[in-house]
Amino acid sequence: MSRFLRDSRTGLLRPRGLVPGRTSARPTHTRHPNGLDRRGFLRGVVRGSLVTLALPWLEIFAGRRAHANTCDNGFPKRFVLWFWGNGNRPETWTPTGEGAGYTLSEALTPLAAFQDRLTVCSGYSAKVDNISPHWSGAAGILTGQQIQGDDDNWTMASPTIDQVIAETIGGGTAYASMQVGVQSDEVLSFSGPNAPNYGETDPTVLYQRLFGDGFREPGSDIPPDPSLGYRRRVLDAVMEDVRSLQGELGAADRIRLEQHLDSIASLEDRLRTLQEDPPDLAACMRADAPDESYPDIDGRMQVQAIHAAMAELVAMSLACDQTRVVALQITRPLNNNLFPAATDGHHNLTHNEGGDQPEVNAIATYLMGCFADFLAALDGVPEGDGTLLDNTVVLACSETSEGKTHSLDEMPVLLAGGGCGSLVAGHHIRSYTQENVGKVMVSVLRALDVNVATWGAGEAEVSDGVTELEA
Amino acid sequence: MTSPPLGAKLTPFGVRLKRPVLALLVALLAACEVDEAPLSTPDRGIAPDVVPAAPTLRRLTETQYANTVRALLGDDVVLPASLEPDAEEGGLLSLGAATASVSSLGVERYEDAALLLAGQVADEPARLATVVPCTPTAADDIVCAETFVRTFGLRAWRRPLTDAEVTRLVAVVTLTGGEAGSFNEGVRYGLAAMFQSPHFVYRREHGVADPADPALRILTDYELATRLAYLLWAEPPDDALLAAAAAGTLTASDDGLRAEADRLLADARARAGVRALFTELFALYALDDLAKDPTVFTHASAELGPAAREETLRVVEDLVFDNPTDFRDLLTTQTTFVDPRLAALYRVPAPDPAGFGEVTLDASDGRRGLLGQASFLMLNAHATRTSATLRGLFVRKTLLCQTILPPPADVDTSIPEADSTSPTLRERLQTHLEDPTCASCHQLTDPIGLGLENFDGVGRWRDEENGSVIDASGTLGRTDFADAWDLGAAVRDAEDLGPCFTAHLYRYAMGHAVDPGEEAHVAWIAAGFAESGYDWRALLMDLVMSPAFRRAGALDE
Repeated sequence: MSRFLRDSRTGLLRPRGLVPGRTSARPTHTRHPNGLDRRGFLRGVVRGSLVTLALPWLEIFAGRRAHANTCDNGFPKRFVLWFWGNGNRPETWTPTGEGAGYTLSEALTPLAAFQDRLTVCSGYSAKVDNISPHWSGAAGILTGQQIQGDDDNWTMASPTIDQVIAETIGGGTAYASMQVGVQSDEVLSFSGPNAPNYGETDPTVLYQRLFGDGFREPGSDIPPDPSLGYRRRVLDAVMEDVRSLQGELGAADRIRLEQHLDSIASLEDRLRTLQEDPPDLAACMRADAPDESYPDIDGRMQVQAIHAAMAELVAMSLACDQTRVVALQITRPLNNNLFPAATDGHHNLTHNEGGDQPEVNAIATYLMGCFADFLAALDGVPEGDGTLLDNTVVLACSETSEGKTHSLDEMPVLLAGGGCGSLVAGHHIRSYTQENVGKVMVSVLRALDVNVATWGAGEAEVSDGVTELEA
Repeated sequence: MTSPPLGAKLTPFGVRLKRPVLALLVALLAACEVDEAPLSTPDRGIAPDVVPAAPTLRRLTETQYANTVRALLGDDVVLPASLEPDAEEGGLLSLGAATASVSSLGVERYEDAALLLAGQVADEPARLATVVPCTPTAADDIVCAETFVRTFGLRAWRRPLTDAEVTRLVAVVTLTGGEAGSFNEGVRYGLAAMFQSPHFVYRREHGVADPADPALRILTDYELATRLAYLLWAEPPDDALLAAAAAGTLTASDDGLRAEADRLLADARARAGVRALFTELFALYALDDLAKDPTVFTHASAELGPAAREETLRVVEDLVFDNPTDFRDLLTTQTTFVDPRLAALYRVPAPDPAGFGEVTLDASDGRRGLLGQASFLMLNAHATRTSATLRGLFVRKTLLCQTILPPPADVDTSIPEADSTSPTLRERLQTHLEDPTCASCHQLTDPIGLGLENFDGVGRWRDEENGSVIDASGTLGRTDFADAWDLGAAVRDAEDLGPCFTAHLYRYAMGHAVDPGEEAHVAWIAAGFAESGYDWRALLMDLVMSPAFRRAGALDE
C-alpha cells in the first residue's frame, strides 16, 4: 500500500494519516521554538540586491508531528548526504544488469557487503547549463538550479537538499542539521544564497561538541550543568542586540542578520535540549574519543582514517537523536588532494591522466571504500530488529560524472539504507533517456515525507519521482 | 600624461572592458580579450564626485578577530582554535566578510570563543583587573557591573553603549552573579555576551543621513575611527583614537582626520595592517595548508609555506616602511629575507642560522621580486607540477586586474604527458595555444607562466625539464622578456599595475567592489599614486582623506 494519499483539494501527495490544514505544520510566519521555519529561509540576497528565490514549492504536511517522519518501528527517519568531489568514471562505475541482483562494477566493489541495501541510479543528468566547471554540477544536483553568480563568485541559488529536508524532519533535536567535512570545511550545504553551512573537520572538536562535557547518556541521573541556563541568558541578550541592530540596516544586511539570528536560536534550542532529560534510546552511548591528530603521511592527508572517525561520531549522534539530517563531505569539488600512491592531485589527475585513467579509478574505488566504512558505522548501531542504516536514507553523489570533461550526464547517485522501506533497496535503476537527476531527488524527498510539488527550476524543474525507486 | 582613449571605460579593476552584457556574449565565442595597449593614467586634476556604494555590515575576518581580542585582553591571550571561515569574494576575504552570513557552526564557534576568552578574564585576576575597574561589594553589585559594562563595552564595541544596551548587559552580569554567588561569574557571562554580540562581531559603517543630501550618509566619528584602525592596523581603535572620536575631531576637519591617520601610520602597528592586506590579496593564508608531494619536491615541508609567506611580507614591509621606494619595485627588488630553509631552497647562504635575515639576490640567482618568491611560485602550482596557467593567471588577475574567464565546462583540458617530442611544458602546452577555444585565454596566461618555468612547483631553480633546457622567453604586452628576471621588470612597468593595486586597496578598505559611481574617483586616487612615485603610504593617506572613505550611499531598501 502506498504510504501516501493524493489530497483531493491540493492534488498533492501527503502521508497517510495526516489531514492538511489542521494537523499539519504548514509554513507560517510564526516563530517555531527552534527558529527554523522562519521565512528567512525563502529569501536571499545577492550582492546587495534582494532576490526572490525560485524555491521548490514546498507543501510540508508532516511538519514535526510526533508520528510523522517516523518509521513503523518507532525510530525516526534520518537523512545523510554523503558527497565527494571530482566525480567518477562511468566506464568503471556503472553496474551491469538491472533491478535486484545487479553486478557491482569495479569502483563499487568495496560496497559488496551492502549490495542488498544499495540502490544505484545511473544514466541520469543534471539539467543545468554547465557554465561553471564543478559548481554548476554541484548546484544542479543539490538544488536543481543553476548557481548564482559566476565561476569566481558563485553561490547556491536556493537551499541544498539537506536543508530542504531539515526544514521538515530536523526539528526537535539538538541539531536541526549537522555538517561534517573531512578534506575541507567548505561543505556543500547552503541555507540559501551566501549562506553556506560550514562543516567541522576536526574529529576531536566534533567529539567534544557532541559527546563532551554537556553530554548525558540516557537514564543519567547527573543533573544538567547550571551554566546551560547562564549561556541561554547570554544568547537571549545577544538576540536582542541582533534585533535592535537589524532595524538600522539595509535590506541585504537585515537578511544576513536574520540568518545569524536563526543560527543563534538553534544554538539556544540545543542548550535547552541539553537541559532536558536525554531521549531514552537503547543504542545511545558516549562515542569513543577519536585520535587527537591525524598527521599527514608522505604529505598525504589521512582521508580514510579521518573519515572513519567522523563516521563513528555521526553514527552515534544519529543514534542518540542529536540530529536527523547530516551532510558529510569527504572531499570537495575541485580538490587536489593527494591520495595514497597517487602521482598527482585528484583534480589534476582527472584532467591529465592518460589512457583509461587507472589512478582516477583507484581514487574512486578508495572513496567507495570510505563510503562502505560509513555504511558500516551506521549498520553497527542496532535499532529494533534492524540497524540505524535501515532507518536512514543515505544519498551519495558528486558534482560531475567524468571529471575530465565535467560531464553532467551519467551523474553518479547511490542510495543506501532506504529509510525503513521508503525507497527500493538493492536495485540498479538505469535511465536510458538521460532523465533529470532531479527525479531521484523528488523520490528522496518523498521518502523522507517532504512532499514537493516540484524540485528545481528552469530546465531542471521536475515534478515526478522515479517510479522504480519509490517503494 | 594622456587621457584614456575615447570609448574606453575604466572598470573597477582598472581594465578596459567591453560593456559587461556584451562581454558575456563575447565570452562564449572568444573567451578572453584583454587590450594589451597600456593603460594611461588620467590627469589628476580635482577629485571627481563620488557616489558611494550602499553601506554594509562587515564581519571581522579571522585575522581582525584575533587582533581585536589581543588588543582588548593582551598579546598573551589564548585565541580560539577556529572561527567561522572567511569567505573569499573577488579575491579578497574582506569582501566576503561583507556579504556572507554566519552559519550555525559559526555561531557555535563564536560561543566557544566567547567563553574561552571570558574565562581568561574571570579566572585570571591580573587580566580581570584590567577589564573590571572597580571592586564589587556584592555578587550582584549593580554599580560595579555598570562601570565594567560601560568601560569595556566602549573598547569592545568601539563606541559608547546606549543605555538600553547597558541595561541588557548589566542584567546578565548581576542576575548571573547573584545566582552563582560570584561577581566574577557575572563578569564571565557578561563578557561572553559582549563577544558574541553583533556589535562586536560586525563593524557597522552606516553613518547618519547627510542633511544636505539624502542620497548620502556620513560616517560617525566612531565608525570612521573603526574603519581607519582596521585599515591601517587591522585592529580596533586604541584609546587615543576613541578619545579623538569622542571629541568629534575626525569629522570636524580634514586636519583632525589627517593627524590621527598620520599617527596610526607612524605606529609600528601599521606594519600589521599592511601585512593583513597583502596576506589577503596574495592569498598567503593558503600557504599554511598547501599540498605538495615531498617525494617530488624534496624541499617541501609543512614549514616551508609559512616561511615563504613571511619572506613576502617582510619584503612588502621593507618597501613600505624601512626603505620606502616605488612600490612597483615589489616586482624587481633584489632584496629579500630568508630563513635557513628558504636559503637552502634558493641556494643562497643563510644570513641567520636562527631565523630570517636579509640577502641581496643577483642575476646569477635567476630570481628577484615577487615572481621569484616561493610564496607566489608555490601557491600558483600543483602538488606535483608547476602550472604556467595559474602563474600567468595570478599576474593577469591579481597584479593587473584583468578578467580571465574559466575554461568552458565541457572541454577536455588535459595536457599531454611528457615524451621525447615534448619534454618541457612549453611543448606540452602547445594545444592550449593552437586550439582556438583554448587559445583566446591561454595566450594571455601561459606565456607569462612559461617565463617562470625555471622555478619548480615549490620555487626551486632548475635549468632543465626532462633533460631539455627550459626556454623561458616570451612577450608581455609589447615587451619581450628573456627569462623570469626580465619578466619581473615587464610586469613592474605594466601601466595597469598601479591602478590595479589602488583598486584592490579601495575594495579592501571599503568592503565592496568598486561601484560605477566610484570608478572615476578610484582612477583619481590611482593617478595620485602615480604622482607620488608609487609611495604606498601616500596612497593610504590619499584614500583615507578621500570623500569616499568618510561617506556611504543610501541604505538599500
